[in-house]
Amino acid sequence: MTRVYNRRPDFIARSIMSAAAFVKEATLCEEHARYAGFLQSLDPRAKAITFLALLVTVAFLEQAALIGLVYCACLVLAWASKISPGYFLIRTWVFIPLFTLGIVIPAMFSFVTPGAALAAFDIWGVRFVITRPGFDGAVLLVARVAASVSLAVLLSLTTRHAELLKVLRIFGVPQVFVLTVTMCYRYLYLFATLVENIFTAIRSRVGVMPQRRAGRRVVAWNIANTWSRTTKISEEVYLAMLSRGYTGEPRLLAGFQLRLRDLVWALAVFVWCAGLLYLERR
Amino acid sequence: MHIPDGYLSPAACGVFGLAMVPVWATASRVVKKTLKVRQVPFLAVGAAFSFVIMMFNLPIPGGTTGHATGGVLIAILLGPWAACIAVTVALVIQALLFGDGGITAIGANCFNMAFVLPFTGFYIYKLVGAGSAAGSLRQVIAAGIGAYAGLCAAAACAGIEFGLQPLLFHTANGQALYCPYGLNIAVPVMAGEHLLIFGWFEAVVTALVVKYLIHTQSGLWIEGHTGGSA
Repeated sequence: MTRVYNRRPDFIARSIMSAAAFVKEATLCEEHARYAGFLQSLDPRAKAITFLALLVTVAFLEQAALIGLVYCACLVLAWASKISPGYFLIRTWVFIPLFTLGIVIPAMFSFVTPGAALAAFDIWGVRFVITRPGFDGAVLLVARVAASVSLAVLLSLTTRHAELLKVLRIFGVPQVFVLTVTMCYRYLYLFATLVENIFTAIRSRVGVMPQRRAGRRVVAWNIANTWSRTTKISEEVYLAMLSRGYTGEPRLLAGFQLRLRDLVWALAVFVWCAGLLYLERR
Repeated sequence: MHIPDGYLSPAACGVFGLAMVPVWATASRVVKKTLKVRQVPFLAVGAAFSFVIMMFNLPIPGGTTGHATGGVLIAILLGPWAACIAVTVALVIQALLFGDGGITAIGANCFNMAFVLPFTGFYIYKLVGAGSAAGSLRQVIAAGIGAYAGLCAAAACAGIEFGLQPLLFHTANGQALYCPYGLNIAVPVMAGEHLLIFGWFEAVVTALVVKYLIHTQSGLWIEGHTGGSA
């Protein structure tokens, strides 16, 4: 929720415009999901279940080396799925793992995590001691977060978003909930465009977005305005649904097909997860 | 406040996921009963609205920026159960498609932001605004107080969840296996920054939005209050 405050005068408009552009790009692009790569060729259900198994396995692992194996597997899978290494590394390391790296640094020191000293140094006469449990805990957390984020990004990049949301059904999520999620996703693009248009309109009339107190007022007004549009759009959506035969009972098109390679992939992942957990407990 | 994967133990993720199951089931049941058929798309579009609110970043005194979460605002507009579903939907999309918040931590994130935040905020709003006329200044102030309390309560919960990790999950030599900060650090940091900075921001934005809606859509405001699924 916090970011470094950029003091350029058009900060509000720029941050909102860039957020809107990111949402639009993410919702529309799906560029990587269209590549003819390995993960793209798998059934979304098999992929979702196996990636969830991998995420849970990573959560259970307590040795950074074993988590490192999962991370290496992510890099190989990204390569096999035709995702450029540079793009994948930037997408996975910025922002969460780097943020984690920043916040675990104090936890390495003896004033947070006591234990055997690993290294010590003085700054302005104050003694700082990095402890073994503090350092190991920090490495473990960063490794786990990096591997988890890599798995989540791989799943999201290589699966069409609409299919990924429909997959929620196999986890027993009620149909009405899945319908709401998929409908919501479709309207994100529309709302991102709406927000962009509002701020373009303000800038074209005023020149520069107001800042601080006046800026807060403008933002609040625009949230309220977005809500007003929401109520109007929902009425139009309802009429559009009625015209297509909606009777109040949601129905979703499935259209997934499980093949032999999906089963082999799932089996291989489950065996690998079991192997990692076995090595962990040994 | 979005907890990423890796910060909470699988046990904590499982506990919060299981704790949310009856909440989601009740929310689905209540919303299905109270929301009219024509309001079903309203829920989806409302969830998109919740997502979009989080895009509005603003500079905050002290050199950081913050964004409104909108959980209490949606609870005031749609009722707390509908807000629970709308915020859950927004969090699921953020975790699955945008990598904001962990997939294994969805239960904990939903507990904080889709349950504690809207319910605390909504009932404090009701309590403070009790007996006041629809669209009165007291309702505007009540919305701000509710938003402040809801956000701070959710932040305190997140702090407790972080702080319990090193207490419950550590090696024999004291190495933390998940979040390394105990209750003595995690709770004051999480609660403090929300009590001092983000809570006020959420309060001001929520109150201003409510004030605007009262001014521009008094009919819809009153209808929303009579039709909420509280």
